[in-house]
Amino acid sequence: MAETPKKRSKQTPKHQQHDLSSSNAITIPATPVALEPTPVRRSSRLYTTPTAATAPPPPPPRFTRRKSLNFTTTTPTPIPKTPKKPAPQSQEDAAKQISPISPDRYETRRKRKLDEEKNAGLAKNKDLKGGKKRVYYRKVVYDGGEFSIGDDVYVKRRENAESDNEDPEVEECVMCFKAGRAVMIECDECLGGFHLKCLKPPLKEVPEGDWICRFCEATKLGKNVELPVPPAGKKRARTAKEKFLSSDLWAAHIESMWKEVDGTYWFRSRWYIIPEETAAGRQPHNLRRELYRTNEFADVEMESIIRHCYVMNPKDFSKAADEGDDVFLCEYEYDVCWHSFKRIAEISNNEEDAEEDESDKDWNSCEITDSDSEDDTDYKKEKINGSQRGPSFGHSLAANLRKGQFFGLQKIGAKKIPEHTRCHKQTEIGKAKAMLLLACLPKSPPCRNKEMEEITAFIKGAVSDGQCLGKCLYIHGVPGTGKTMTVLAVMRTLKIEVDSGNIKPYCFVEINGLKLASPENIYRVIYEALTGHRVSWKKALHLLNERFSNGTNWEEENNKPCILLIDELDLLVTRNQSVLYNILDWPTKPHSKLIVIGIANTMDLPEKLLPRISSRMGIQRLCFGPYNYQQLQEIISSRLKGIDAFEKPAIEFASRKVAAVSGDARRALEICRRAAELADYRLRKSQSLNDSAGTRRSLVGVADVEAAVKEMFQAPHIQVMKSCSKLSKIFLAAMVHELYKTGMGETSFEKLAMTVSCLCTSNGEAFPGFDTLFRVGCKLGECRIILCEAGVRHKLQKLQLNFPSDDVTFALKDSKDLPWLAKYL
Amino acid sequence: MDLKNPVEQAVILLRSRLCNPNFIFTLFSDSPDSNYSKLKYIISSSVTESCNNSVLLLGPRGCGKLAVLELVLEDLLREFPDMISVIKLNGLLHSDDNCALKEIARQLCLEHQLAFSKMASSDENSQFLIAMLRECGLAHKTVLFVLDEFDLFAQGKQRLLYSLLDAMQSVTSQAVVIGVSCRLDADQLLEKRVRSRFSHRKLLFLPPSREDLQRLLEHALLLPSGSDLPHEFVANFNSNLLNIFADKKFKDIMDTVFNTDSTFKQVLTFLFSALCHLDLKCGFLSVENFKDALSNIQRQPKLECLKDCSILELYILVCMKRLEVREHETCNFNSIMKEYKSIHDSFQTTDYYARDVCRRAFEHLLQRELISFLDNRGHGHSIEFRPVKLLISWQELYQGLKSYGSCPAILYKLVERETTT
Repeated sequence: MAETPKKRSKQTPKHQQHDLSSSNAITIPATPVALEPTPVRRSSRLYTTPTAATAPPPPPPRFTRRKSLNFTTTTPTPIPKTPKKPAPQSQEDAAKQISPISPDRYETRRKRKLDEEKNAGLAKNKDLKGGKKRVYYRKVVYDGGEFSIGDDVYVKRRENAESDNEDPEVEECVMCFKAGRAVMIECDECLGGFHLKCLKPPLKEVPEGDWICRFCEATKLGKNVELPVPPAGKKRARTAKEKFLSSDLWAAHIESMWKEVDGTYWFRSRWYIIPEETAAGRQPHNLRRELYRTNEFADVEMESIIRHCYVMNPKDFSKAADEGDDVFLCEYEYDVCWHSFKRIAEISNNEEDAEEDESDKDWNSCEITDSDSEDDTDYKKEKINGSQRGPSFGHSLAANLRKGQFFGLQKIGAKKIPEHTRCHKQTEIGKAKAMLLLACLPKSPPCRNKEMEEITAFIKGAVSDGQCLGKCLYIHGVPGTGKTMTVLAVMRTLKIEVDSGNIKPYCFVEINGLKLASPENIYRVIYEALTGHRVSWKKALHLLNERFSNGTNWEEENNKPCILLIDELDLLVTRNQSVLYNILDWPTKPHSKLIVIGIANTMDLPEKLLPRISSRMGIQRLCFGPYNYQQLQEIISSRLKGIDAFEKPAIEFASRKVAAVSGDARRALEICRRAAELADYRLRKSQSLNDSAGTRRSLVGVADVEAAVKEMFQAPHIQVMKSCSKLSKIFLAAMVHELYKTGMGETSFEKLAMTVSCLCTSNGEAFPGFDTLFRVGCKLGECRIILCEAGVRHKLQKLQLNFPSDDVTFALKDSKDLPWLAKYL
Repeated sequence: MDLKNPVEQAVILLRSRLCNPNFIFTLFSDSPDSNYSKLKYIISSSVTESCNNSVLLLGPRGCGKLAVLELVLEDLLREFPDMISVIKLNGLLHSDDNCALKEIARQLCLEHQLAFSKMASSDENSQFLIAMLRECGLAHKTVLFVLDEFDLFAQGKQRLLYSLLDAMQSVTSQAVVIGVSCRLDADQLLEKRVRSRFSHRKLLFLPPSREDLQRLLEHALLLPSGSDLPHEFVANFNSNLLNIFADKKFKDIMDTVFNTDSTFKQVLTFLFSALCHLDLKCGFLSVENFKDALSNIQRQPKLECLKDCSILELYILVCMKRLEVREHETCNFNSIMKEYKSIHDSFQTTDYYARDVCRRAFEHLLQRELISFLDNRGHGHSIEFRPVKLLISWQELYQGLKSYGSCPAILYKLVERETTT
């Protein structure tokens, strides 16, 4: 983080091409912006003039116009290493009217007040003494606005731009150029605002769906349109949004904030970019209010912040109706080096979790590593640029080596966002298909309440118990009964409880036995999960043994209980079963604080193991029975709630069918999805044939489900037998004939060839010769319709039908080209 | 090209058609019930709707599973450029999990122009795979895994399949696993937990029906009218061909081909070999060409082997046959020599060779796989004492003797006597 001003000046300008002479352009404080506390309400189609009732909370009262700085942070955390050169710039000095009033503590959850205050005092002292250190904040009240990490703000782009000073909060009507209190409607095309009464003809209320103003409509039709000219003397004021969308402003995401040694306030910004500024330009599917998040960071002084804006993910954006004018949609990340787009993963949950999880200490260290890694990324970026220039990849890191942390993944990205992903209009069947995906997990698994309670009770008991001796839970059940999902759902709910302080914090490690290269590797994975270090498995075993058995902890404060979830436990069984023994033995040690939850399919896994293991594992068990048809039905219909795509009997049929076979929820979902696919395919087919008949049956019916079930459960051998060549049919018939004659399942090729030649001669077919017949047999063997030995055995080759002879009879009984076969079957 | 006469040009055109599966299978791609459109629908829906799928393509060998898949992939790559990356694995090469993961990582790196390291452990490779799946999913790129000889991946612990299918259970990933196998019971080979994660779409590829075959013949062999071949020649060639198609003899030949093996592959090889028999001077295909081709593809290797045997070897085979009929379960070189001697003594044949010579003939028969050792035991023993078995039936032997030019009459008699008694 120790940066010289030189580097900063290199970083701060967002786009060199925009001709910013130096970073000063940004850091020089312009005249203070007077923020009127008149927030704007915005709906996607609707403007109303500000009313006090629904306005966002007004900024905290300001004492003086600019001097009041109310710092609220969790911990002012001096970074251990001092900056090399705290470099205040002279202009900045001049602008330093901002002086910190004592940093107040910001209340976080589960922080006791007393502690806080003590810390606060400490921090203050430090602040006073150690002026040479940067102080990081989580929340800053600056210039009347309250900014916290994760907020989005407008940032000035040009210095002294005249237009920057005026900052109308309320948009004017395109027609009458007055703001007024009347309801306004927003055009979805040009984002212009219109009073309902100014429209021709005037509208009574805001229409449903998209609305496009008549100017845009006319331009679409290719007419020349003249927009109403503003009355003389009145300059049309532009709002911050308009300025931003015409690239006169920037928007940024606040990543971190700190106070420099000289007292200026800085923040690390992650820039947003408007579609016009990307390499691909504005694409037709881009919405007017769409932004991209870039991977470009810069350190900017807080002076250049204008005010808040709100960048949301599509889900929130569609919900946001009354958030004001400064709402933007951001779905993609834009890589400025590679000019590529990437969807932003929906990690909002995780982010929250992470934030909640972090104690003050964590926050601290995290901040430091973060800044380090950012430097790293900068470094990497430079490197990439280098390699871009000269295509010499020889020296660069390999992508699949961990050493490089999968180096180069940032290269992957779409050059253009494909059109079809943005079309949000889906048919009912399309929606149903999306909901039935195995990947989209419900928040809590339906029909597993009892099991959830049991697991919750087990973990709670184990964690709150100081000793938690020998806590092992063995969960078994056939695949697709929601074992892993239930445990993970329990862990999610428990996490919330940990955050609210009801139970003690613990750490949770999840391992899948089938994803380990070898069973011994589990030690390494556990050790890495607990400490973050990578060592060989032998070393890891040694260290883990020390921790769990001997009770010598690596770090005192890291002495949280540890929950170990091992999926596919049966894969850890080695010849001498030492891995399982070790893992199950640790919980019995007095100071281990280890809880093991094992998941496997077989019910009697503990019994198959050595007695010393089964005595440790087999005490507490939980069985996940296969779902019955009502449960499956509930699972499916809970996913399809509100989507009218399935006929009711179709769902019931699918769930009954699956319940009868396996009770596997994945199967049931897949059958329904396949049925929806088939129905979709059928509809498209009929639509392409004749347009009118397309709407005939748009629901997924029993027939579709039946087709899907057939595809999934039925072996296709009968169809293959029906359509195979004539000689193959004779061959199969001879096999059946032989079977009936001798009563033996197994026969040899020599005997069979005799039978075939008999059949052929008595029915007027030409016998094709032994070698041809042999080839036919081998082909059938390849498809596993019959089982046969390798071809070198020739005459001695043993043959056997792979399917019941009734199947062959059924398939060949009424074959048209060989009617005589029926009498031998 | 201009210097060549139209016949040569036509042959080149037809050969390149027959060897190009894409040309052959476009014939069947337009109907909505074809596997082509079904497969295309499945893959393209997972591209556009960003979901995960897994499909099995089943069917006997030579029915065009991979050919149709290639056709679909080609079309989709054209339709969605830059959005699909294809990873191809073959069970014969990559059935080992670690090796398969490495190959996946290599192909992913190649596809996205990343640097690849051979040194990475399989752990790192599998994490790389998961990271890549996520990144590709976020960038709206679909990763297609084509697993040829799928049944061979379903051996052992099936770690690769499990990790692929499990990675596909996350929202961010966007992948399709396409298994291609000729084993009809391929999905039964999967372990329970793997099978539960597999989405069980199955497409069955069947041999063509008679009508399809007729269409295929016309599609493949008729010359196009709009090419640079002389118009007159094309007209003559096509009318000649249509005459052949209507010929009774030709139909019989096609029936014989079709009766033994009705797959695309067999029919195409047959046509290719017929084309190779085309007389360049006359310039048209004839029924004779097809007849030659039929004898060319319906080989009888064992009978041909018999033709190449020496008289002594035939003696040995007949001796073995006699011993077998007399229900000597096992015979070895010594007992055969005894029999040979007894034949010589009773019939006073002129062909009597020393034991060493006989032994060499015996070894030769072993090499031609007309006879074989009964079991794999006793490698240490000398050849004389190991039990052997005849690998051809008496009908074949009899037929072989008949077609053998200078077969001693005594051998005939012996074989005939054995079969009648």
